[in-house]
Parts: sequence; C-alpha cells; structure tokens
Amino acid sequence: MASNATSVEERRERARRRKPKRQIRMSDVLAWFTLILLLLFSLVPMAWMLSTSLKTQFAALQLPPEWIPSNITFEHYIRLLSPGSEVGQEFLRYFWNSIFVSTMTTLAAVAIAVPAGYAFSKFRFPGRQGFFIAVLIRNMFPAIVFLIPLFIMMRTFGLIDTHLALIITYLTFGLPLAIWLLKGFYDNIPTELEYAARIDGASRFQAFIRIIMPLSTPGIIATAIYAFIIAWNEYVYALTFLSSRNLLTLPVGLQRFFDEFVTNWPGLMAASFVMSIPVVIIFLVLQRFFIQALTEGAVKS
Amino acid sequence: MAEVRLDGLIKYYDDVLAVDDVNLTIKDGDFVALLGPSGCGKTTTLNLIAGLIDLSDGEIWIGDRDVTDLDPKDRDIAMVFQNYALYPTKTVYNNLAFPLQMRKTPKNAIDERVRKTAEMLSITHLLDRLPRELSGGQQQRVALGRALVRNPRAFLMDEPLSNLDAKLRVQMRAELKRFHQTLNATMIYVTHDQLEAMTMADNIAVMSDGRVQQYGPPEEIFYDPANLFVAGFIGSPAMNFLHGEISTENGVTSVKGDPGWVYPLTPANAQKASHCTSGRIIIGARPANLILSREEHPGMIPGSVYTVEPTGDTTFVHITIGDQIYVAITDPFFRAEPDDPIWVDLEDDRIHIFDEATEEVLREDGLNSQSIHGKKTLQPA
Ligand SMILES: Nc1ncnc2c1ncn2[C@@H]1O[C@H](COP(=O)(O)OP(=O)(O)OP(=O)(O)O)[C@@H](O)[C@H]1O
Ligand SMILES: [Mg+2]
Repeated sequence: MASNATSVEERRERARRRKPKRQIRMSDVLAWFTLILLLLFSLVPMAWMLSTSLKTQFAALQLPPEWIPSNITFEHYIRLLSPGSEVGQEFLRYFWNSIFVSTMTTLAAVAIAVPAGYAFSKFRFPGRQGFFIAVLIRNMFPAIVFLIPLFIMMRTFGLIDTHLALIITYLTFGLPLAIWLLKGFYDNIPTELEYAARIDGASRFQAFIRIIMPLSTPGIIATAIYAFIIAWNEYVYALTFLSSRNLLTLPVGLQRFFDEFVTNWPGLMAASFVMSIPVVIIFLVLQRFFIQALTEGAVKS
Repeated sequence: MAEVRLDGLIKYYDDVLAVDDVNLTIKDGDFVALLGPSGCGKTTTLNLIAGLIDLSDGEIWIGDRDVTDLDPKDRDIAMVFQNYALYPTKTVYNNLAFPLQMRKTPKNAIDERVRKTAEMLSITHLLDRLPRELSGGQQQRVALGRALVRNPRAFLMDEPLSNLDAKLRVQMRAELKRFHQTLNATMIYVTHDQLEAMTMADNIAVMSDGRVQQYGPPEEIFYDPANLFVAGFIGSPAMNFLHGEISTENGVTSVKGDPGWVYPLTPANAQKASHCTSGRIIIGARPANLILSREEHPGMIPGSVYTVEPTGDTTFVHITIGDQIYVAITDPFFRAEPDDPIWVDLEDDRIHIFDEATEEVLREDGLNSQSIHGKKTLQPA
C-alpha cells in the first residue's frame, strides 16, 4: 500500500522514471556466447579468403601468415575480371553460365511454386494430400541418391551436357521446400480476401494476381533466394552432367582453377570471393523479406 | 435492387449436410435476417447466394435471372464479411475504389462515388490509411463502404457487427437500419444475435440444422412460433417448457405433469391439444406469462422458489417444479427466500401447445401453415 506521506503526483513521477529492470541472466550469456561462436565460425573463413586474395603469391605462402597483408594487390581481381586475359575470359564465361542457370532455375521455381502452393493451400482436388506428401518425401533423401537415375533420364532425353539438364535438376531440389513454404503463406491468408475480391468483380485469377499474390511477396522472395542459392552453389550434378568446357558453372570452373593453377592461392581466393558476391548482395537486399517469410509463413501446418 | 429467390438449396461438404433444402423468397427491398445457432448453415447459405461455393442442388434467382451457374462477379451483389476482409495492402480509398475499378468505371466517376460513400459513413479522414491502422469500428465502416460504393442488386452481410463492442453494435445497428430504409436495398443479413434480427429485419428466417424452421416477420416469429426449436431459440430468458399428458375428465381437458401437477386447459387450448397424436404435449410459456402466487389456488402448479434475481426493471424468479427449473418475470419488488412454496398460473391465451412427438406447434384448426417440411417456397405472411 502507498504510504500517505508521498502524494500521488510524487508516486506517478517515480513510476514514470522507473526503468524496466534489465537483469542479465545465465541464459542470455549462453545465447551470446553461442552467437559469437557461430559468427566467428562463418566470418573467419570469409576474412581469410578476402585477405589471401589481396596478397601476392609470395606473401600468401609466408609463415606465419599475415592477417592484414602489408602489400595489398588487386592483380588477381583484375586478371579475373578483364575479358582480355585468357583466365579472365574463362572465369567470366563460368560466371555468366552460373548466372544464367541460377536465374532460370529461380524464375521457373517461382513460376511453378506460386500456383502449386496456392493450389495445395486452397483447392480441394483428388490426391491433394498424397501429392503434397510426395513432394515433401523428396526432401528426405540426400541429393546424391538421385544422381544416377537423373543421369539416365537426362541421357534418354538427350539433355546431357546442356544447361537445361541442370535447371531441371535444381528445380527438383528447390521446389519441395518452396511449395511447402508458399503453401504455409497461403494458408495464413484468409479465404475471405479472395471471396471479397471475387464479389467485387474479379475473376478467380484476377483475385489471385491482384489481391493474394501481393500479400505473399515475402514468401515469393524467400523462395527465389532459396532456389537461386541452391543452383548457384551446386557442384556434383554440374560436374556430372556437363562436359563442354564453355558450359561449366562457377563451382566446377573453380575446381579447374584449383587443378591447373595449384599454387595460385590468391587467384583461387579472389575467384571464390567474386563468386560469393551475388549471393551476399541478394541476401543483404532481400533478407528482411526472407526472415519475415521464415517466421511468418511457415508457422502453421 | 431485386428479389432473391432460393429454390431447394442443398449443400454437402463431403458427407456433412450443411444446407438442407432451403426455400426462401426475399422480396425486393426487404431486410431479411438469417438467424440461427452456430453451425446451422447461415454462412454457407450466404456463400451459396454469392456464388462463392458450389451448390449441390437447387436454384438461385436474383430478379428475373437464374444465377445458379454464374460467377460471383456476374451476380451483381455486394457482401460484408464477418472479419471485414479488407485488402491489407490497399489504402481505404483503394479498398473502396476496387469494386468500381474491376467494373471499369471511369476514373472521375470512381473518385466521386468513393468520396460520396466515405462522406456518408464519416470515414473521409481515413481515406489514406491502411486497414491495419484502423480501429475495429472503423474497419467495419470501410467494409460497409466497400459494399455501398456500388449499386448492387442485393447486399449480403455475414455477422457484420459481431466483432464490435456492445455500444458500437447498438449504434451501427441503428445506422444499418437507416441505410436499408434510405437505399431501399434488398438485404440478407446473417446473425446469431436474436436482438439484431428482431430489431432490424422485416422478415426473419430461423435456421437450425441446415433447415429454415420458420420464415416471417419478427412479431410472428416471437408470438407465433411454428415449432419447439423456434419457441426456445427466440426470447430471453428462454421460453419455459412444461411436459405433460393430456387427460379428459368430466368434459374438462387437463395436462398431467410429470411430478404430479395438473393444469386445466381452456376450451381453446383444449381444442389445440386435441390435434395431438401422441397424447403427450408440451406447454410453452414465456417467463412474462407466468403468474406467481404465494397461496394455493385450484388449477395452479405447485413449486418452490429456487432463487430470485432482481435486475432493476424486473425481477427474475427461478422456480423448481419437479426436477425442472423454470423462470418467471415478476414485478421489480417481488422478494422471496429459497425454498419458499409458490404456485404458478399461466396466461392461457399467451401459451403455446406443442406435440411432444413432432415438436410442432398445435393450432386450433389443426393446420400448421408454417410447417416447413413441405416443398413449397415460403412467402412471408
Ligand atoms: N469448408 C467446410 N468444409 C466442411 N464443413 C464445413 C465447411 N464449412 C462449414 N462446414 C460445416 O457446415 C455446417 C454449417 O456451417 P456454417 O459455417 O454455414 O455455419 P454458420 O451457421 O455460419 O455458423 P456460425 O454462426 O458459427 O458462423 C457446420 O456444421 C460446419 O462444420
Ligand atoms: Mg457463419
């Protein structure tokens, strides 16, 4: 009980000033510790890569290694990115191939996953449950299991050594999660919104395009990032399906660098760094949507 | 505006029979309430009228058009949803403009209509906001506005007031009734709140288990219920039901109640009871039609006071008769102790007689004109 000695005004003033108590608990400390460890774990290799790529060949092999190179050189980047040099030509070709395959995979994944996710969420059709489970079961097997079957299929269709083979393969990796993610999104959008649009004069398709799709933008973006990264980083299938040198994607191409310029560590690191740039940029720009998608869309089901 | 006619609507969700042979004619300019307990098929019926879900059987006519197979957009109706269903990414202005844009209205006409509607609902100052920046009552107005912005052939409303607080609900109720009267609109209004239905509707369709139990003006639903369900559902506190057996001695027909009471029927009520096929009837008496007495009189039903609830204007007295508890409304100053003996008389010309077997009301001429179990389309009386 408040004592009579202090007036209500005084007590109000005190209450206003009172800060919420911030106690540091053991669990907070543990959480920070874990986060810092994870951060180091992912950042140190990146930093090492960047550092090495800026060194000369000689400096790169020095012991003990320097963290911050005393002579910073951009020669490896220049060599990689100048279309005139032989290495640059090759690297830019791989880079372009990767961009092409990843972009196509992304576009196709979105074009398929958006209607599929919506259909699984809102339509009732025979085999709905079965199809959906089939889609998810695909994700339970490691990708490598499908290498030989897919290779045989691609050979049958005459697709070996084409980019199309890779795009199709990457779709089979990316689509299950993409469809599942988007279905979660559409589950959370009340059916009444579509109803309202249809009453207001929209066809079912217009209602989807004009009202429902804008609401699932975060989900669509998350799907796109996910599909892009899968395609961008994939190595084994690209190695198996492609043989022509001018079709190779970056991960396989880098492997060749590795073989041919065994000793050129800075060059390899520079190439790796350039390779990581598109993903980092995409992620930085769109991460807001991505996080929203993962926390919001997939809560249900 | 136009008449809406429902012809034998049946809707199955897989094996669930949600709407079971609904026949209704909603006259041009009428305000009809679909009233019933949760899960009785009100929303389903409304969605069928709108064309949002597929019909299993039956026909729907709006005006002189058979719209049974038309898309919602071609039925020319407007609808207000229980959760409002405002477009979250559009401003209030664009929410109101959307129905007009979809109908290819010229831009300046859209602007004019939107501003006029906003004015009418006093939401002009909200036009630039997003739905999530509005209070519940404001969202409700915008939802209403999106329906009013056009000139549809009928308005459908699915419990539009149920998410509002009590005070706002009373205010919006009056406003909605005004709109209906000034626009002369055909309105179909779903609610499970009998007060809303009684106060606003020209005609009420009482639904239960996917069927229309009775269709008529509020007074008729209240004073002349067609069956036990309607009698028990309408009115608060609910109607009392006294079960008993018919017996005739020395030319006087009485009802013998289960725990030993006997209540003599007037000739008119005896005439009604004579149409009973099972020999057992249910007397329905609203709490206001119970007359309490402290002394024993012949022909009264003995009971005892269970509890007394003064409410200010009136007093509710709960009475134990046998193992049942009944409610009477008495004058505000009635006081009694629990278990006081009490005698109950009924206002004989205000009570209803139901056949216990069929649960249908029994009338003097033996005809139940409101019986729903025929196939005919019901016209409000
Ligand atoms: N999409 C659906 N799938 C299966 N059954 C459904 C579906 N929608 C409604 N039902 C069932 O149909 C019946 C009628 O439902 P409806 O929504 O029309 O009731 P209601 O009268 O509007 O109830 P409330 O007052 O609770 O809104 C209920 O038994 C319900 O469980
Ligand atoms: Mg409902």
